[in-house]
Amino acid sequence: MDQKLVISQKFKTATFILMGIGFIAFVYAFVSHPERGWANLLINNYYFIALTVGATFYLALQNVTQSHWSSGFNRIPYAIANFFPVLFILMIPVMFGLHSLYHWSHADAVAHDAILQHKAPFLNVPFFIIRYLIYFAVWIGLTQLLRKFTFKEDLVGGLKYFEKTEFFSKVYIFSLAFTFSLASFDWIMSIDAHWFSTIFAVRNFVMGFYHAIVLVLLIAILMNKLGYFPYLNKYHLKDYSKYIFVLCIIWAYTWFSQYILIWYANLPEETVYYMPRTKGEFTPLFYTELIVNWLFPFLMLLLGKVTSNKNILMVIMIILLLGQYIDVYMQVTVGTLHHLNIGFIEIGGFLGYIGLFAYVFAWSLSRKPLISKNHPLIEESIKHHP
Amino acid sequence: MTKTNIIGVYDDEDLIVEAIHHIQKKDIKIKDVLTPIPIHGVFEALKLESRLPLATFLYGTLGAILVFAFLYWTSVVSYPLKFGGKPLNSLSFIIIMFVGTIFVATFLTFMTFFIRQKLFPGKEVQVLDPRATDDKFLIVVDKDEDLSAKEITAIKKAFKDSGASEVNEVEEEVKQKKN
Repeated sequence: MDQKLVISQKFKTATFILMGIGFIAFVYAFVSHPERGWANLLINNYYFIALTVGATFYLALQNVTQSHWSSGFNRIPYAIANFFPVLFILMIPVMFGLHSLYHWSHADAVAHDAILQHKAPFLNVPFFIIRYLIYFAVWIGLTQLLRKFTFKEDLVGGLKYFEKTEFFSKVYIFSLAFTFSLASFDWIMSIDAHWFSTIFAVRNFVMGFYHAIVLVLLIAILMNKLGYFPYLNKYHLKDYSKYIFVLCIIWAYTWFSQYILIWYANLPEETVYYMPRTKGEFTPLFYTELIVNWLFPFLMLLLGKVTSNKNILMVIMIILLLGQYIDVYMQVTVGTLHHLNIGFIEIGGFLGYIGLFAYVFAWSLSRKPLISKNHPLIEESIKHHP
Repeated sequence: MTKTNIIGVYDDEDLIVEAIHHIQKKDIKIKDVLTPIPIHGVFEALKLESRLPLATFLYGTLGAILVFAFLYWTSVVSYPLKFGGKPLNSLSFIIIMFVGTIFVATFLTFMTFFIRQKLFPGKEVQVLDPRATDDKFLIVVDKDEDLSAKEITAIKKAFKDSGASEVNEVEEEVKQKKN
């Protein structure tokens, strides 16, 4: 019950090598192509912010619904939550690159633009930075509080911390609705400052939630292969697969809702968002995004045998995590760089972030027991059956 | 013609899955399990297999094709009317196809289920024990005519050992097949 994760030296070396590649990629980017460097910083930051928000939302949702089937794996999202402080630091450089990323941050552009002037009370640099501080204060504060409760529960037991966790999970879900919506408006939608979509926040939130569960399942399977979580059985896998299957449909639903309304209304100020995406060099990626994130998992997870096979699931999960990269890449690059560039800067930067995430995650998971032994529903998760 | 069943009555839903495994270990074939609420694991324990999900998938595919064919026929072949500058054969079909697919798949799945289970409105219901619709959980075993007295006591013992509160023998009307 008090089993702890032991990080092997090999794993540490691998993450350090990845981080080194990422560091070199970013240094190279800022020296030779600063524009691409800034865009990449935002893509990777937003990629992991969406995943971390999704994972912690998933955790809060499990606490609120008192789910027993997943409670044995709760320490995975609890450890992912520790990536927020790192992301807070990684977002600081973005604040110095606003001029390269956001059209509205140029005072002379705003002076000749009625729409940007109208949006100026919200979209201005000081308020942008204040909002960024507020989002992270809320996210870090509440997730660290939830972490504190679960580790106290380990020592004390009883229902006191279970109920506290449930209450603060509700607070967290409620505050995420505001903070993550505004955060996705700030960091991604304001790249195309003239354009707006009312379903944008939902679509981005579903993207993060969907891929966060993919990440949780991938980590659970990988750790099971290393000998941790020995109780992971095929019914856990089936339940996770169902969860991912449903979210893949919701992802396609929100993605398509945004697209078809703009397509149907056919207003020039709205279609300007989809024109460069559907016609031009981004066209293949546009359809790849839909196929990888929706059609592929939809057809694969329909098959009953796939949903209980660890190896096949692992491959699907890795492809889906690449699918989120395409999703974020399409949202950021078209508005900032206007051209398709995939080279050492993009791949190396992403590898660096993966290494950093893996290291921070493993470090924070290894410090505490892997199972919240005094969680009232833990037995039902360990003996989970159909 | 009547048929006799041996029925184990259980008071608690938690006993059912364990009891099924216990009875199966004694090489006794379980005919049916009747419970007022669905219980997780009974389906797997009885090793039942269902092709209904596959049928639903096929019906869904059929539904998507049918609805698309209908929309294509109405708006491209039979009455081609341009509006809003949109192409005749266009994305706007997808919403109706989505809804139509769900409808066709659900409706045909239910019909298949009812036909396979021989359920129809006004069917006479045979209730083995009316308490199975209230708060009791039943496991039913067929009492074949060629069972020896020893085997019958073994069945009853298996029920008792696995936690049944009562073991009853209930007769059931079976419609004779016309030869």
